[in-house]
Amino acid sequence: MKRRLFVASSLSALGLAGCGQVKESLTNGPFRGVLLSTENLNHAVIGTHGLAREYRDADVDRQFRVNGLDTPSDAAYTALARGGFRDYRLVVDGLADRPQKLSLAELRAAGERTQITRHDCVEGWSAIGKWRGVPLGTIVTMAQPKRSARYCVFHCLDADQSGQRYYESLDLKQAAHPQTILALDLNDAPLDLDHGAPVRLKIPTQLGYKSAKWVARIELVAELKPLGGGAGGYWEDQGYEWYAGI
Amino acid sequence: MTTEAHAGPLPRAAAREDAGRRVYRHGILARTAHWGWTLAILVLVMSGLQIFNAAPYLDASDKSNPARRVLAFDAQRVDGHPAGYTIVFGHRIPTTHLFGYADDGMGEESPRAFPAWLTLPGPQDLADGRRWHLFFAWLLFLAWAAYVVSAGVRGKLRELVMRPEDFRKLWPMQLYYLRLRKEPPPHGTYNPLQKLTYNVVVFVFFPLLILTGLTLSPAVDAALPWLTALFGGRQFARTWHFTLMVLLLGYFATHLTLVLTTGFWNNMRSMITGWFVLGKHDGVGP
Repeated sequence: MKRRLFVASSLSALGLAGCGQVKESLTNGPFRGVLLSTENLNHAVIGTHGLAREYRDADVDRQFRVNGLDTPSDAAYTALARGGFRDYRLVVDGLADRPQKLSLAELRAAGERTQITRHDCVEGWSAIGKWRGVPLGTIVTMAQPKRSARYCVFHCLDADQSGQRYYESLDLKQAAHPQTILALDLNDAPLDLDHGAPVRLKIPTQLGYKSAKWVARIELVAELKPLGGGAGGYWEDQGYEWYAGI
Repeated sequence: MTTEAHAGPLPRAAAREDAGRRVYRHGILARTAHWGWTLAILVLVMSGLQIFNAAPYLDASDKSNPARRVLAFDAQRVDGHPAGYTIVFGHRIPTTHLFGYADDGMGEESPRAFPAWLTLPGPQDLADGRRWHLFFAWLLFLAWAAYVVSAGVRGKLRELVMRPEDFRKLWPMQLYYLRLRKEPPPHGTYNPLQKLTYNVVVFVFFPLLILTGLTLSPAVDAALPWLTALFGGRQFARTWHFTLMVLLLGYFATHLTLVLTTGFWNNMRSMITGWFVLGKHDGVGP
């Protein structure tokens, strides 16, 4: 009995010691391609169906958690903010027959949707906010995408320490989901600077990092490869899934 | 599995006469499923702890809510020294070097719920932790489904599923395990305690682990809102998911103890090659 326990515990000790290298080589070795393939399976099986649950006013987090890259502090953004974003224009271009340049007033006039939804962070936490804005589908339709357009890319005003700008992307099906909105208000007030003023994406059917803040431009494209690191978004370029429904 | 021989088998008297005889105990499907989900569970637990580390707390609610916190990890400086804490229902337990403030996989200790030697990958890496977890979740599900469907089709599940009379035999069987009773109660391929344990693991833990895991996903919540509601919301589902993992580890510890104490090599051989040598330990399987 003692000998067996000794053998077993030696084996586990050996396993733990060699584990660091094994884990490292498995994560970055040839097996990596197999790991990454799960995303397509999840996208095909789970996809985007149904509507995210909508909550009551009483469920709202009045102090909605701030997360993500730092609030932009460059001169251009500071000037925009000081002017109450009167000079802000959302650019919609790329593979579009009618590219748009929309002021906040024009965005508000284009359509309205209010939804109290849960924001699910990839880290694991959740918070509930009341979001008001214009359905993304409405804005994309206004720009009249060409037949070759397959994705919306969101170019943002925030950047990390190394100057890498935040960006995100959705396919046109996800963009047309009724709860995918360009939010202008959070909890009955215009978005404050830390929550992505003046315009952010809000897509409650996917994890929080898809809901890009400080959106300046929506570009319609046929493929994501040529942009940024090629994976379709800031966090995607660092190994996170492009399909963030799970 | 072949028909002639079941081994944790037969009423005890028969087994004694047969002592020393080799029997084919585990079919290729059972063995493949067993090792498939052993590997899957090992990877899932370690990558799950990696994912947990990104938000090291559990709430019994839909959204995150500190007022309903069940478990949390915390690091603080005490008298100039870093200290790690595990907070269970508000009770702070010092767990420096193990939980809360622990090995970060980069040669140092840092504020970190679970240490690097328990997580996959070792250093903080949520993106890769998720990749591992979601891949092996599929593997676990497929191994589970293949086993249940195939065993069901071939009538093997009948030997495994708990029947009313098995419940009455649980206590006598426990007494036998405790050596307070000479003979185990008469039973089929699996004794009543084995049946209960395997039933709970295969038909309760595995499905619930998969379902609670799925409800952590916003797209699944949109597609199947009733499922999320059933678990009490997303954060509550996260709490159940973690709790089930701990219970499964409890099962695993018991299982391992029995594997070690009821003829380790014989047990291992039977789960690798299928062949088991009948002996005095029969009827008390892992």
